[in-house]
Amino acid sequence: MKNYIVFFLAIFLATTSVAFSQDNISPKRKQAIDSLALEKVKDLSKYISIIGNKETQFSEANRVMDRAEELFATGAEMGVSSINTNEIAYYKVRRYFERLMALNYDKVNITWYDIQYVSDLERQPDGRYVGVITVYQRFEGTSIETGMNYKDTTKKDITIYVEKKQTQIAGRTIEFWDVMLGDVRVTETSA
Amino acid sequence: MRESILIFSFFITIISSVSGQGLGSPGTLQDDGRFAASTKQMNQFFRRFNGEESIDGTARFYPGDSLYQNGNLRKGFVSILFDNQTSSISSSLKSDFISTLLSATYPQYLVFHKPGWLAEVDAVFLYKGKRENVTFIMKIQPEGLGYEWVIDQVIFDPFKNLFNKPIGVSKDFLHPLSHELGFMNMRRAFQDSESPESFTPTTYNPDYLAIFLYEMKQNNLKFETVLGVKFHFFQIGGWYFEVNQFNRPGYNTGWLISNLMRLGPGDKETLMRYIYDQD
Repeated sequence: MKNYIVFFLAIFLATTSVAFSQDNISPKRKQAIDSLALEKVKDLSKYISIIGNKETQFSEANRVMDRAEELFATGAEMGVSSINTNEIAYYKVRRYFERLMALNYDKVNITWYDIQYVSDLERQPDGRYVGVITVYQRFEGTSIETGMNYKDTTKKDITIYVEKKQTQIAGRTIEFWDVMLGDVRVTETSA
Repeated sequence: MRESILIFSFFITIISSVSGQGLGSPGTLQDDGRFAASTKQMNQFFRRFNGEESIDGTARFYPGDSLYQNGNLRKGFVSILFDNQTSSISSSLKSDFISTLLSATYPQYLVFHKPGWLAEVDAVFLYKGKRENVTFIMKIQPEGLGYEWVIDQVIFDPFKNLFNKPIGVSKDFLHPLSHELGFMNMRRAFQDSESPESFTPTTYNPDYLAIFLYEMKQNNLKFETVLGVKFHFFQIGGWYFEVNQFNRPGYNTGWLISNLMRLGPGDKETLMRYIYDQD
């Protein structure tokens, strides 16, 4: 958490030289926010890989789930669909992680593709900004007993909420942009 | 043939420019260009359509940038924004459409916040214990400090069957001197008739959305899931196109134009009536 605050402040200070209005996000600030959002998505991807790894101890997986949950806004959900059905199955974020941890494979390998797409930020009625980051994940699960080897590639469209917040440092009020993750749409791809 | 070469060269450029991106963790898989080529979000569809991002999608162009809405960039992008595998849009129609977009005197662009585009969302609800398909027509509107998607219309078969209003000589009616009797014969409309809608004006159209919201509030409708989304665009003068998501192997994937029509006088209104299921 401490690291994040330092990072937010660094981003704030790095962009203070750019002139912008109170409520609009300049291209330069947008880039800084994108970087921050991508850091959070990287953290999420790292946590998902750890939670899914069968060598991760139960207590450690739970600790990582707590960390992963902290990345999300309250009430965020994962909406999952497969190649076979377009219907979306909804899971609370914690439930999604628990299901991932409980998958019945002896070995699970989760990796990520070297590509992501970051949308523009749009303002909501409540003044917060919303965007979507798309990443691709490769899942590979092996069951020794049955010899089954399951693989899939999923596209993850991750909502990000961006909000201007304030903090007090040495008696000075400093504004910074905070990023929280929101609902995630998980789509199995044909790749 | 020239179009194929153009598209191929566009892909090659995309493929050769994707390395070095990514989440950065060890063991990152390298995209072979398919994900880079895919139009991954509607946001990317808008940017590509307007020529507002780099070929690999990593840089967003803004007004003042040298390549912002660049004609050649747009031409390359729009060429790959068509579904080339299942849709039967002729090359000449595509070519005419692209010429319209890139007109030297009046180039046309898509604008996210302006009217003229709609989302059609297919969902499933439980209605009186039975799974029923529901279609929503959604639009973007300004609200508060920003924008929001709102439901403009709902298409729900169980409601449509409720209102089969008879017409002409066979329909029930209140005779034209009913007022002289203080409308005592209203009993016919509200007690004897099985189709009280017979007593409404010729112009009467049921407000299905109001009924839908009422049924939601009565807990008679319960949301189950979303099945799919597509988009209708009327923002380009004289043209209509539809955008669908294509999840399949290859490079021609993501959000793509699946239907393209040149609009004559009155065609837009006809199409809108069709989309809103008012026919």
